[in-house]
Amino acid sequence: MTRRDLLLQSYLGLGGIALAAQENPLAPKKAHWPARAKSCIFLFMEGGVSQMDLFENKPELVKRAGQRMPQAGNTEGEIATFSAAPNRIIPPVAPLRQWGQSGRWITELMPALGGVADELAFVHGVKVDNNNHGPAVYHTLTGNQFPGSASVGAWMTYGLGSANQDLPGFVVLGDRRGSTIGGTGVWGNGFLPAAYQGTLFRNGDTPIVDLNRRAGMSEKQQRAELDLLQWQNEQHRAGRTNTGELEARIAAYELAFRMQAKAPELVDLSGETAATKKLYGMDDPISEPFGRQCLLARRMVERGVRFVMTLHGAGGDRWDDHGDVKGRIPKHCKEVDQPVGGLIQDLRARGLLDDTLVVWASEMGRTPFDNNLVTDKPGRDHNQYGLAVWMAGGNVKAGATFGATDDFSVRAEGSPVPVRDVHATLLHLMGLEQDRLTYLHAGRYKKLTDIGGRVIREILA
Amino acid sequence: MWSWVFLFSAIVPDFERDVAPILTANCAACHAGVAKASGFSVEKLAFVLAGGKKHGKAVVGGHPEQSVLIQMVKGTLGPQMPMGKALASKDVETLEAWVKALPSDAPTAKTTWRWPYEKPVKPKGSSVDEFVLAKLREKGLSLAPEADRRTMARRAYFDLIGLPPTAEEMAAFVAEGDFPKLVEKLMADPRYGERWGRHWLDLARYGETSGLEGDGAIGNAWRYRDWVVDAFNKDLPYDQFIVQQLGGADEHSKSRNNYAPNVQGHVGLGFLRLAPWDRSNLVADEVRANYLAEVTAATSSVFLGLTVGCARCHDHKYDPIPQKDYYRWQAFFNTVQVENVTVPYADEEFAAKAAAKIKEIDARLKDGPEKAARDAYEKATLPRLVAKRRELAAGKTLTDLRLEMRRKEASQFSKAERRRYELVKEDADRTQDPEEQGALGRVDKELMGRLRLDPARFEVLDVEDLRKEMGNRQSKVFSEAERDKHGDLSEALDVWRRRLGRWQPVALTLKNVPGPPNGPAIAPVRVLLRGDYRLPGEAVEAGFPTAFTGKAEAAVMEIDRYRQFPTRGHRLTLAKWLASKDNPLTARVMANRIWQYHFGTGIVATPSDFGVNGERPTHPELLDWLAHEFMESGWSIKAMHRKVMLSAAYRQSGENAGWEKDSENKLLSRFPRRRLEGEEVRDSILYLSGRLNAERGGPSVFPPLPADLADFARYGRGGAAMWEPNEKDEDGRRRSIYTFQRRSMPLPMMAAFDAPVFSESCERRSATTTPLQALAMMNGNLMHEEAGYLAKRVAAESGDRAVQVKRAFGIVLGRVPSEAERARYVGFSGDLESICRVLLNSNEFLYVD
Repeated sequence: MTRRDLLLQSYLGLGGIALAAQENPLAPKKAHWPARAKSCIFLFMEGGVSQMDLFENKPELVKRAGQRMPQAGNTEGEIATFSAAPNRIIPPVAPLRQWGQSGRWITELMPALGGVADELAFVHGVKVDNNNHGPAVYHTLTGNQFPGSASVGAWMTYGLGSANQDLPGFVVLGDRRGSTIGGTGVWGNGFLPAAYQGTLFRNGDTPIVDLNRRAGMSEKQQRAELDLLQWQNEQHRAGRTNTGELEARIAAYELAFRMQAKAPELVDLSGETAATKKLYGMDDPISEPFGRQCLLARRMVERGVRFVMTLHGAGGDRWDDHGDVKGRIPKHCKEVDQPVGGLIQDLRARGLLDDTLVVWASEMGRTPFDNNLVTDKPGRDHNQYGLAVWMAGGNVKAGATFGATDDFSVRAEGSPVPVRDVHATLLHLMGLEQDRLTYLHAGRYKKLTDIGGRVIREILA
Repeated sequence: MWSWVFLFSAIVPDFERDVAPILTANCAACHAGVAKASGFSVEKLAFVLAGGKKHGKAVVGGHPEQSVLIQMVKGTLGPQMPMGKALASKDVETLEAWVKALPSDAPTAKTTWRWPYEKPVKPKGSSVDEFVLAKLREKGLSLAPEADRRTMARRAYFDLIGLPPTAEEMAAFVAEGDFPKLVEKLMADPRYGERWGRHWLDLARYGETSGLEGDGAIGNAWRYRDWVVDAFNKDLPYDQFIVQQLGGADEHSKSRNNYAPNVQGHVGLGFLRLAPWDRSNLVADEVRANYLAEVTAATSSVFLGLTVGCARCHDHKYDPIPQKDYYRWQAFFNTVQVENVTVPYADEEFAAKAAAKIKEIDARLKDGPEKAARDAYEKATLPRLVAKRRELAAGKTLTDLRLEMRRKEASQFSKAERRRYELVKEDADRTQDPEEQGALGRVDKELMGRLRLDPARFEVLDVEDLRKEMGNRQSKVFSEAERDKHGDLSEALDVWRRRLGRWQPVALTLKNVPGPPNGPAIAPVRVLLRGDYRLPGEAVEAGFPTAFTGKAEAAVMEIDRYRQFPTRGHRLTLAKWLASKDNPLTARVMANRIWQYHFGTGIVATPSDFGVNGERPTHPELLDWLAHEFMESGWSIKAMHRKVMLSAAYRQSGENAGWEKDSENKLLSRFPRRRLEGEEVRDSILYLSGRLNAERGGPSVFPPLPADLADFARYGRGGAAMWEPNEKDEDGRRRSIYTFQRRSMPLPMMAAFDAPVFSESCERRSATTTPLQALAMMNGNLMHEEAGYLAKRVAAESGDRAVQVKRAFGIVLGRVPSEAERARYVGFSGDLESICRVLLNSNEFLYVD
């Protein structure tokens, strides 16, 4: 065994020099309790998904279609401003129907998701702290409406490390149409060390920035360079004490070199059957991009990647349907339905769903009434009180529902569910307890749930 | 069962949801409206908190047993309320739970950690080493021997200017060995301010964009950046450094009536504007509350080393900071108004350069190639818009009326009608008022009845209409390719427009609101229950934290003797209190920060938190001694560098035979090795390849993004460009402190090396080790280009491979290769560029001993 191999082993936590292992921030860590889910796929729909067009059956909206919205009770902030205007109720763009044994209401526009309805557990009436996209995206994905905090994926990777040391522990599969509204900060490490930041996988030949060797550089040549480098580093290390970090860097170069081989294999879908690709909607150009992202997400969790953030929507193609709900919502649905339904089906068929937590969320819901813009194609406004979230897999209680909105889907019926409750639940489902997963920063033991959320036990198996 | 829930869980009763219904049902008959028995009303939260005439305060936050309201509903204070009946016990419990959760006057946290609040007494001692050695000796340790000259030079160069010594500088120092002289030379080098200014920008959460929706530029933040660099270079005394950042443009004159503060004072004030900014939020109160909260957290942790920001929603859990103190601190900023100000460039040379630049860009915008290209494209496409609109026209719509009105003299409507129509429409559009819109509707209806459709009406369509159509994603006139092309042509022009804006002498800053008698009264700052802007509680006056003053009293404001400017001087009052020699923390906090930047870890390892949760000082006497020395030197940061860097503790080697007795190096038994920071890595690579553009100051530049990210650098197709080309290629090779800090788009290599976007104050960088760093350093653009240039440089300066290897070692590592190294590199299969890349990747380069 060469010294390099020895170092690598220690880096991977397989034994050897303990000091070097300590230097690996991604070494697997023990969960706080033995949850089933080992990985998480977070499907984030940017722009504010219309809960009453997709998941909430509200007969009142059909009955009162086109009528003026009655003054909604107990509204505050922007929603109050919106509902004060003479807004007309927009009925759902397509009928919703009940699916599966659970009789879950889902739009007819999403038959593939309807087909796996019995796997899902829903939370309705989730409240976000801000009614604008930027802060709301930050709030849903980092627990704080302003940039600077650690994202859900960073927290999970910090808490659990990674099961695969040849790949990043936290991967982001971006929408190729553009960046998310808050940029890289929404999957950033915030105040946590940089090792926990999401690594963006590009939808193309170079999945990771700087992964590919430069043109004209052969693998053999790079190996020779690396051998010289490691020899040089060994000379440097030999005369010094306290060399854990130096050894970790030596190992990190080896991992990077290996990642160059592993990551392209990961994104190479040529080994997947035509049937699998069809299952993910990749046979249709409209659903192909997100289908590819979902299929990649499955391949990631198969290989032990801890957290996969899968983003849908960018720029004008977000779920931000201020106008033309009739034209736009069916298109968004078509883009994601088969990919998401296929993903759940595929995970189930491969026995992966028990080990994988799948989450669907957006940064806010929408209003039942039009946003009073001068257009002949009405659209819905933002609604920070109406976010609907669903989860599947792991210890999620399939078919369960928690929370509800009022007859108009404006606000929660009863107490709203703060986003931090959803975060507490997600951590719990990954085997982490919010109060034990802390990081001292700026005088506080920071946690994802800030002042603490309630684990929504009603949707746990 | 709410009350039961409240007693046994963390759920706090909400006034509107839980408390108000009880009070309304049981008390409002007498305690509301005009009746308001005993002067007490339960109509609003604020009234309940304000109390009544008879008993004064009705509730004492945190103490139901002391609260008149509770005493009376329980009957422990007569007469029992509500008069003649008793409240249901669950309702009493709800009220009690609510009062218990209200903020109290006294801090909740009981702590014996009083050190931060006690003014330091200067300990006896004459040098840093005396204190360090005393601690080491207790453990039977001593300092490590002095480091060799090569190590010393590298350490000092990176520490003070963030770049390595050149081979020649290294040779000179190794020969001469005069370390004090070297320290003086480096502190006088203008690159010193670029290195130490960067430390301050970390603390100041320096970024140039809002960080949120659209992530647009927040203003010319670079003015503040240059001001900081300059302040460090000229060793602006730290007390003034504080005053200018918090109390800039806030001073009065003792002798002049109608005195206008120094406009230059606005630049340092940028500190109060640098945080992410929620510009798209329509709720002004929420934006204001968030702004004040951010400023409170940042100012207290950066200048005072206390996490006052933790007390926004409740009393500080650990430190003696009641929630009220948080809002009393906020009140110093209650007079600010977020607004940028034109501040002429103080430096004449720069002013001339900027003026020339503005003239040049103005000309380019008026008739440069970008303008010509877009004009030509618009001219070519406009006729199609006209034709297509005519073709698509069907029936009579409002659009037709609007077009007809725009036809001026050719219109079928008279001049008076057109004028009247314009006014009505303008009012309706501007006010969005239903009444005005109703008026427009009536006029529209009347004129529509008379409108005759003339095909010529489409001739009035102009470039504004064209641009609107080009931006319409559902356009039936133009294809996506055409719209993209128009978008690209417009963006090319917008780049120049943004460049123009960056050269304009407008500083990112704020002003004071006028206040009475010059403007409306200013609403007082109120304690916000649970930090929620919708739950304002009692009003507070600006004051210093009670942990320092002993009691909550209003601060005596710096007022203007002519009493003309009541809103001026509030920020200055806080600034002067912070920048005072009597403040027990300010000097200690900054001395500790300086120590941390030299040694990697502060004497207090949590430099922005000296409170209970922070680390305890490893050498409290040393820190107190340094704080006194700092103040006695006239708050000179450079004097502190001398004091620290000339000590034996700083000059010792990184290797000490007895290190295991001090394995974490808390006692400083050796000099701690450190990894270069992201900026140092990037700047040094460019510097060594000979391609660093040393230009100083001015608007920020855009280093090239990795090609893989290019399409990601916009908000969707046709969205705003997140990254820009530079005017000149070499602008992309300036020092990292001058690169544009877009919060949503950090350079991937910098992010990998722990230089995040700064959205919150960052008191200490991490130094992680990840494969992504290795990928950037093996395959990234920068490395490849610059290793090639370094190789060219080495080849041009030296002969055969052995000489080349020697030269490359000299440039990158500042030493000659060993015999073994020489042999191995000479025999290496790769080319010179490969060798350069290996050296730039080596631990010896990336770490400083």
